[in-house]
Amino acid sequence: MPLEDLRLDAMRCTRCAYCKWIPFDLVKSWRFSKGCPSIEYGKFHSYSAGGRLITALSLLEGRSTVTEKVIDTVFKCTLCGQCDVSCKMCRYDLEPLADMRELRSTLVQDGHELLQLKPVLEGLRTEFNMLGQSKKLRGNWIADLQIKDLTKEKAKIVFHAGCRYSFDGELGHVARTAVKILQKADVDFGIMGKQENCCGGHAYDMGYRQDFRTRADFNLRAWSEAGVDTVITPCSDCYFAFKRLYTAEAGSTIKVIHMVEFVDRLIKAGQLKLTKPVPMTVTYHDPCHLGRQGETYVPWAGVEKKIFGQAVCYEPPRPRYNGAFGIYEPPRDVLKAIPGLELVEMERIKEAGWCCGAGGGASQAYPEFSRWTATERIEEAKSTGAEAIVSACPWCERNFLDATSGNGTNMKVLDIMELVEQAL
Amino acid sequence: MEISRDAYRAIEDIVGPDNVTDDPALLDSYAFEVMAETVRPDQSHFMPRPWAAVLPGSTEEVLAVTRVCNKYKIKLKPISTGWYHWAAPLIDNEPTIQFDLRRMNRILEIDEKNRFAIIEPYVIGAQLQAEVMKRGLNFSIIGAGSSCSVLASACAYSGVGPGAYNMGGNAEALLGQEWVTPGGEIIRTGSLSSGCGWFCSEGPGPSLRGITRGVFGSRGGLGTFTKCAIKLSHYPGPPVMEAQGRLPGYRLPIHENFRVYTIGAPDWDAWANCYHEIYDNRIGYIFHKQFGFAGANIAPAMWLNYIDPTKTLNDVETALKDPEIQKVIEEARISFQFVMAGNSTDDIQLQDKILDAILANTGCYKVKRYCEQDFAEFTNMYMQRLGHKHCNYVWVGGYLGSWMQPGTPDFVKKYAPIAVKTFERDQKSHLLVECGGDALMGPGSPIPGGGQTALEQFVSYDSADRESIKAAIKHMEDAVVDEAANGLPPGKESIYLQVGWPQEKVFDAWAKMPQQFILNFQRKIKAAFDPNNLGDRNYQWLPEGWGQKKPVEAKPTEPPK
Repeated sequence: MPLEDLRLDAMRCTRCAYCKWIPFDLVKSWRFSKGCPSIEYGKFHSYSAGGRLITALSLLEGRSTVTEKVIDTVFKCTLCGQCDVSCKMCRYDLEPLADMRELRSTLVQDGHELLQLKPVLEGLRTEFNMLGQSKKLRGNWIADLQIKDLTKEKAKIVFHAGCRYSFDGELGHVARTAVKILQKADVDFGIMGKQENCCGGHAYDMGYRQDFRTRADFNLRAWSEAGVDTVITPCSDCYFAFKRLYTAEAGSTIKVIHMVEFVDRLIKAGQLKLTKPVPMTVTYHDPCHLGRQGETYVPWAGVEKKIFGQAVCYEPPRPRYNGAFGIYEPPRDVLKAIPGLELVEMERIKEAGWCCGAGGGASQAYPEFSRWTATERIEEAKSTGAEAIVSACPWCERNFLDATSGNGTNMKVLDIMELVEQAL
Repeated sequence: MEISRDAYRAIEDIVGPDNVTDDPALLDSYAFEVMAETVRPDQSHFMPRPWAAVLPGSTEEVLAVTRVCNKYKIKLKPISTGWYHWAAPLIDNEPTIQFDLRRMNRILEIDEKNRFAIIEPYVIGAQLQAEVMKRGLNFSIIGAGSSCSVLASACAYSGVGPGAYNMGGNAEALLGQEWVTPGGEIIRTGSLSSGCGWFCSEGPGPSLRGITRGVFGSRGGLGTFTKCAIKLSHYPGPPVMEAQGRLPGYRLPIHENFRVYTIGAPDWDAWANCYHEIYDNRIGYIFHKQFGFAGANIAPAMWLNYIDPTKTLNDVETALKDPEIQKVIEEARISFQFVMAGNSTDDIQLQDKILDAILANTGCYKVKRYCEQDFAEFTNMYMQRLGHKHCNYVWVGGYLGSWMQPGTPDFVKKYAPIAVKTFERDQKSHLLVECGGDALMGPGSPIPGGGQTALEQFVSYDSADRESIKAAIKHMEDAVVDEAANGLPPGKESIYLQVGWPQEKVFDAWAKMPQQFILNFQRKIKAAFDPNNLGDRNYQWLPEGWGQKKPVEAKPTEPPK
């Protein structure tokens, strides 16, 4: 998609600044009313979604050139999509999140790359993971678990652990826990083991479309050869990549289920019984890629048309992604099903959730910004009185662990699966 | 335009290098403003680019940078949340510092007992309302919505909205301000200046409210307001707004002591009579002609579509074929939203009875579909928080307001049909959104207690379509002619248009204004507070002798005999 395709959105942006805040109807305090980590950290208007649209228009019109500062404004963003939600409170014709991804991709194609990301991309190309670790280590998280190896056997369901759970020693136990839950529920599934590849979603968000496509093609081919029609993952970033990006960019028809959705179904079907009390007060952090960006992709190829003279709509009607139908209730229902556990909510939840700071390549390219964003969320979690912040994404959990380490906070960081395991 | 690097370094020393930029792309994010395309050459979306953008963190930093501007003769233009083309620099090649006040974003104090809040420029309506409601208090969020700076509307722009009928507009609720003049001084107004606190803008001490704001405010043309106090009012509702449902049509359950109605009128006479009776009986809390801005011919289809998260604008066309929707369109053709709040069950029940009597007297009625629970709860959310105000742009990315002359309901009802008829005429070009001639919106009363109203015509155009932009410009120019032909002063559109005029043309127009001597007086004010002429013409004044050989002297009005 060339930069030119952003022109209409840029010219129709009204600089209203909704993209900087959570939806105003949901504001409950001064402290937790802000929605966009990027503008809160970068401060100049160009660090907002609307500001980036203006940057695109300025570049298109030859009014400015790509400077270091421009690159900073374009990439210092977690692509959390809060802007998209708030913009679409009043607009049906703008796609700020998609536009920001396109702007990044265009800059990368034009050779404007972040030096910080080069080793990350190099690791992806040679070791097929985002953590820069040897591919030989992938699958070590399995340890002594007996799981069907889909490079040798067949199953309809593949469990995809993802890079973070595979290589982050502090988090690998979550993948093991998830697998044990699947085994306990007698699910016939397998894994790709050392042949598992990165989903490519992070590369996509960093602007590297070809790297994403290479990984998507590899994974889809491998799954096809193994007879897989469903992927279950405990990682929200992988979930988004498989559910939205693979469908949109690679024509995937594979069914995608997040582990919390699966566990929720098992509980509701009576196949999984949570009986042991877990006496804790926790708060739940909605991962952006599971929550507001977790809506189902609907293929669309259409054109703009005008009704009532100048009102803009689309022929055929364009699917609307605004976070209204993200995955919000399954994780909450799972938590509520755990005996003795009390869920207390933060102010910014669901479509209005504040980002953990890890997305969009921010944790790799701008660790200070990323950590600051996570710290903001931890502060919000603390304000609820919860003793733990619980999530359903290893990238969120890693960022929260980093933000809480060494700063004296007692806030625990947990994955839902850990609590489910305790309750079994 | 190049400016001495010394000036830039001096500013950097004050605010730190992270809080100033002269990167062209970043500066363009301040030059880009809504409606620029209607006034700029070649329909550019960019107003003149500032020379630098500065993010001061305190009054002291504003003051220090202002003094640098005076030293180097750099113009200055503050914005807080920043919206409208007049928020950017107005003149090309005139070095201007754009103050972006977003770092000054604190609520400094909420004095619950004495009912005021002291705020900085970047506190928005939603934030302040959320905090004061916890204390059983509220204030009037301006018509432009809760995304906007409260201070800006109070100190530097017209601060009216749906709640003004009960709580007063923010201009009236202004209890004092801290002002860094363009000349580089800090002035504190009203009781604050005497060390008595923030309770009265008129003193004891200097009352500068008339100087710094007037009815429309200086809109960044007369320095920087760094703090202000806002009067708060009693709020009888729950301490936290708990929005329900899915976006975008969130709903707010209606508290037992609240009522939320949409009132329809059979004609403009009945509409005006209903307003008068509401004023006379002092009922109601939030009072606004709101949802009609989407255009009376299609608005109900749009709004009932909007509250369904599965729908898109394509569905509006389909909905219009529904006879039930057509019925709502006719019922709501002339209508307004009315939220009543009681201090007790008895209170709200009495208000209900009074409203019913008013409706019986005037022939007005409750619009049935709009008063059903789902839509009433949406209306409650919309009107109390005003968090959907950029639905101004729901059709497409261009909106402008025309007409909007304030007056009594009897005055407004005379121009409303003219505004409707002329807008119908202009829509025949198919270059504006064809929503019917009545896209009128306005406060039930911009002054507390009633007595005055105003209606603004909402004109939607495609800001990415040159022909549509031209039609929008023509509509504004024609509106000025239509207004004059009907003996009315120019409306809001004339203020928009003037933003793009050359300085000389603006002065020529102002010199022909009735009582233009006021602008000669304001020249003296400007000379006192802005000796180096660093503010722009959003603060209105006339150069000495402009447009006349002899300045007209002010004469006292003859007393009535």
